[in-house]
Amino acid sequence: MIPAFALVVGVALGLFLDPTVPLWLQPYLPIAVVAALDAVFGGIRARLDGIFDAKVFVVSFVSNVLVAALVVFLGDKLGVGGQLSTAVVVVLGIRIFGNAAAIRRHVFHA
Amino acid sequence: MAVSSHRPKSGSTTAAMLSSLLDDTLDPAYAEAAARRGERGETARSQTLPLVVGCVLVLGMVLGVAYSDTRAEAPSSERARLALLADVQRESARSAQLQDRLEELRAGVAEAVDDALAATQEGRRQSALVRQLETATAVVAVDGPGLVVTLSDAPPEESTDPVTGEPTEAVPEAGLVLDIDVQAVVNALWAAGAEAISVDGERLAPTSSIRTAGEAILVDFRPVASPYLVEAIGDPDLLVPRFAGSETAGRYDAYRQLYGIGFDLARAEELSLAAATDYDLRYAESTSTPRFGGPR
Repeated sequence: MIPAFALVVGVALGLFLDPTVPLWLQPYLPIAVVAALDAVFGGIRARLDGIFDAKVFVVSFVSNVLVAALVVFLGDKLGVGGQLSTAVVVVLGIRIFGNAAAIRRHVFHA
Repeated sequence: MAVSSHRPKSGSTTAAMLSSLLDDTLDPAYAEAAARRGERGETARSQTLPLVVGCVLVLGMVLGVAYSDTRAEAPSSERARLALLADVQRESARSAQLQDRLEELRAGVAEAVDDALAATQEGRRQSALVRQLETATAVVAVDGPGLVVTLSDAPPEESTDPVTGEPTEAVPEAGLVLDIDVQAVVNALWAAGAEAISVDGERLAPTSSIRTAGEAILVDFRPVASPYLVEAIGDPDLLVPRFAGSETAGRYDAYRQLYGIGFDLARAEELSLAAATDYDLRYAESTSTPRFGGPR
């Protein structure tokens, strides 16, 4: 419950404070969002599976975001930034969908 | 509840990778951590709740920032276009406004000049001179009786395209009205005593040009098309017979019969010619002695 509340507060903060994102950070923002979402969905599913572990969640969250950003950064430097972004989004998207399906099974038993 | 983490034993590596990607959506670290806890007999504790909350808070913020950032960024090209459009519209409105103001001021100047000049005999003489010059230089619109000469291309002829063999309709080359034809008629009209001339509505000023560009005839850089309506203001009783008797009129009469060029004269009782579209004052000189009052 508290994390859900924290999420809402975070969104509100992000929207209302509207901090200016430095230009060099802008390409990584959407990728970071997708990576963080993946970690969060994984966390929710683990929670429902009864094996949630805060340390694993925090580590996966931070490393997901950093690795995704790093991959895109490297891709940018190698001239395949767009394609690598797509790859990251596809892989993480599949995982998000899979976890969301598992969560759905837990919640609705269907 | 245990997490099933099955991998197909057979099949290519690609298939294994794909099915692992599709099936093992949950980070295996959770299962491992749970197993470790199971060994040590611990239960899952959320003593690191602040960290989790921090992570989720960060995610929320990133989501919000990404959203507002994308919203601010996406329509920037559209906004630039709209801003340019607004600029163009504002500047055109301003230009039209300035044009209006210019006309207003010109009228005011003309009136002031008239007023200043009407005071003296000499001034009235000058005023008449100015008016005459303004008419001659096409600065003002004029109306009056005159002569209308219509020049037009010969009707198109059916012919066969020499390359494709397709039937085409083309004006024979000899039947085309060229810039020199319009020039000749205009010059003949001046010679016959025309006071003001316009070609297809383009008033001719002393510096006007009639030239060909590609297949179009340009009068003062504005394209005109066949039929070319040459309107000339002047005393019809003098202008019409003089022009009709001119060598040029005779030549085009012959062309009409020979090549089918359209060439018609019509006396007009009421013609009104607009002022020349724009003129630049390129050279000005003060009269040698101030003959009247000067500015007061």
